[in-house]
Amino acid sequence: MSMTAFLGRRLLQLIPTLIFILVVVFVLVRLLPGDPASAVLGDRALDADVERINRELGLDRSLPVQFLAFTKMVFTGDLGNSISMKIPVTQLIWERLPITMLLTFMAAMIAVVFAVPLAFIAALRRNELPDNAIRGAFQVGLSMPVFYSGLILLTVFGAKLRWFPVGGYGDGFIDHVYHLFLPAVTLALSLSAILMRNLRSAIIGVVDAEYVTFARAKGLRSGLILFRHILRNAMISTLALFGLSIGTLLGGAVITETVFAVPGAGRLMIDSIYSRDYPVVQGLTIALAILVSVTFLLTDILQAWLDPRVTK
Amino acid sequence: MTVTLNPARLLRFPRAFLFGAAILLTSVILAAVPSVFAPYDPLMMDYINLLAPPSAAHPFGTDNFGRDVLSRVIHAYTIDMQIALFATLFPFIFGTIVGAIVGYVGGVTEAIFGRIVDAVITFPFLVLVIAIVSVLGPGLINMYIAIGVVGWVFYARIIAAEVKVQKRLDYADAGRAMGYTNSRIIFRHLLPNAITPAVVYWMTDMALAILLGSSLGYLGLGAQPPAAEWGVQIADGKNFMATAWWISVFPGIAIVITGLGFSLLGDGLAEILRGRK
Repeated sequence: MSMTAFLGRRLLQLIPTLIFILVVVFVLVRLLPGDPASAVLGDRALDADVERINRELGLDRSLPVQFLAFTKMVFTGDLGNSISMKIPVTQLIWERLPITMLLTFMAAMIAVVFAVPLAFIAALRRNELPDNAIRGAFQVGLSMPVFYSGLILLTVFGAKLRWFPVGGYGDGFIDHVYHLFLPAVTLALSLSAILMRNLRSAIIGVVDAEYVTFARAKGLRSGLILFRHILRNAMISTLALFGLSIGTLLGGAVITETVFAVPGAGRLMIDSIYSRDYPVVQGLTIALAILVSVTFLLTDILQAWLDPRVTK
Repeated sequence: MTVTLNPARLLRFPRAFLFGAAILLTSVILAAVPSVFAPYDPLMMDYINLLAPPSAAHPFGTDNFGRDVLSRVIHAYTIDMQIALFATLFPFIFGTIVGAIVGYVGGVTEAIFGRIVDAVITFPFLVLVIAIVSVLGPGLINMYIAIGVVGWVFYARIIAAEVKVQKRLDYADAGRAMGYTNSRIIFRHLLPNAITPAVVYWMTDMALAILLGSSLGYLGLGAQPPAAEWGVQIADGKNFMATAWWISVFPGIAIVITGLGFSLLGDGLAEILRGRK
């Protein structure tokens, strides 16, 4: 199969996924206890007002009609208004989601910086002391909840040593990166443990492969073999894993942003749940699910580009 | 199969497995009879000893209500071990049944199931669970429902893949030739041979359930205060981290050790089963 056909098929697969996302979110919101009108108007609403709001929100129509209207709204970029902040949900998402994306991106970069060298050390010193120490440390990292490691980093490096701010987002790009550094390290810990474990076994698998022996026999320098032959191939499975971890990473971002008071989409999600601001919860759930599917698509394409066998 | 505890045979198990089993055995005992080990009542407030640092009387110190942190950590085993079990048991059973049927039937059913799997992994798991809990309201039961709605898919996927392999083997054909019903072939013959990877995943999943349960407790969406639960305790202590670190740090260590126990047991189990093959 050609690359174009592969891309076409992958894009087509997005359609049922998107429909499913919309159905799930639609059903979830319809399951809400109490009606949205009372949420908008408060407890002392008059029946006439409740009826008027229900009509405005289209809640007096049949469910399939409501679903079509809902789908149309989502595709035209209209996710309704926030109940507590009185501004369009789309606007809120545009303001907050980039912060979460920057945090997630930084976490991914930090995780790679941690994982790659340690995976090489562990793989090349297999079953020796460095390997056991690295694997043990990462095993502990995997069992540590994000909010706990975040709280400890915040207390030690923020409150005690004052190397980093204890929260917030700052002004200007450099300041943003500085503010997001500790949250990103927190988020990177468990991801780097997963990446390290996978990369280690991938390297072990590749080191013994024939083409590496051949490269050695050709007299290539070991540094070159390491990077051009081993790393490239080990990176393919790591990339797939990375794509699959994006959901976990975004989930972790929700908690990390709460711990560090970062005003991103995750923090907005938790705040909206506390204030029962359902349009925002609904809009964010859709936005995050779309973000994940797009990431899946991108990692698939990258993987196909790195390893042409994938498109077959 | 009878399991005999011959010490010589026990030593041949992987060290990870033995270590994990020891941690979990201790955890189960603490969860079953916490009052035997806890020095104080976990809810008893002592207004004379507020925020007292670790001492002989209170080895893990006291919190801002003067409650004994050690006793709360021990009593929390009851809730957190319960989370590990209940949050994973329903997904395990339901996912296994669905996966076995999907794998055996194949065809259109399998294609539809594949799309469901794709869609479910598209939602950030925690975000979806949080969204469902926000609809149902905070609390442990609703948390189990939220995790169950999503979690079964992962078990079903593992079992379906395994049953697909098993159903092509001779003994499945033999069953069909004997005129056995499909459900008898699936559940009496194929499933026992297909279930091991799902059991290994179950161990890992229990570790994840504890992380998830305590995260929701921390956010105020899981177990509700004043219940002794590790996530709730860490949230209780978060504003005292600079002055009274012991309130949050000890429950966190309990989470890490218990999570480690489950993963070690899972890894060890996988190693033993691989060796047997």
